[in-house]
Amino acid sequence: MYNAHIKLINNLWMLLILLTLFSAYMAEQTTPGLLSVSIMAVVLGIKGRIIVDYFMELKESHIVLRGLMRLYFFVIPAMIILVYLYPEQIAKWTAL
Amino acid sequence: MVEIVLRPSAPSTKTHNIPGNMAIWAAILSEMSEFAIMFIVYFLAKVHNPVLFSEGPARLSTMAGASNTVIMLTSSFFVVRAVIAMRENKPQTSVRWLWGAVSCGVLYLIIKYFEYEWNTAQGLSTETNIFYAVYYYVTFNHFLHVGWGTAAIVWVIYRLNTDIYTQEEHEGLINIALYWHMIDLAWITIFPLLYVIR
Repeated sequence: MYNAHIKLINNLWMLLILLTLFSAYMAEQTTPGLLSVSIMAVVLGIKGRIIVDYFMELKESHIVLRGLMRLYFFVIPAMIILVYLYPEQIAKWTAL
Repeated sequence: MVEIVLRPSAPSTKTHNIPGNMAIWAAILSEMSEFAIMFIVYFLAKVHNPVLFSEGPARLSTMAGASNTVIMLTSSFFVVRAVIAMRENKPQTSVRWLWGAVSCGVLYLIIKYFEYEWNTAQGLSTETNIFYAVYYYVTFNHFLHVGWGTAAIVWVIYRLNTDIYTQEEHEGLINIALYWHMIDLAWITIFPLLYVIR
């Protein structure tokens, strides 16, 4: 039981590292565009979900805490994409 | 399919049980809200200053940001392994994993210090423009969290070494583990926002 769990945690850690290196590579090598920004947003969402579900062990825990923490990693990636797509509109709405 | 059961003796109220206690979750949700406000400020500043936020990340060290992301994720992994070791009634193994996490915390602080020095040498400061003002405010705030989070892990190591925690009762360890993961979550959000997305 513990061995299976340890193996899962080890694999998830390696996945998190690979996703981070992928993000850094994209930052240095790609031209900013909707595709690259969307990929980075999705990568952030995946990394957040892994930590919330498996490292914080909320996958099968309190439904409200799990929902709030998961929501965080839906909203921030969505904001990244929305700010990229509609910067002028959002600037207009938020101008003082 | 392998079913992962973390606490075989736990009751079947799996949708209602809470890792750690409510006090630490109140702290975690407060801290996440604090960082959320900073991220909202970032987004608002970005839409009103698109050129500065497009050019800003290019003058920061992606290497420093990526290195600290790897270090934070690895420290979180070490903390998870420390919790698993304690559940297996291996407190000294747990202590070793926690020292690994402390080392990561210290390494993070050292890299961040040299990153700030490097920025200063380039003439970057909070007054350079609004991108760097946001960058310093958010990252220094996170820097402080890593500092006291690392100190809290050292405190847990002391308690483990004095046999205060047992296989059955080690809620303090769980609470600090959760708090540390929250610090990690904040950083994995900061990294793409300030270093990656142009």
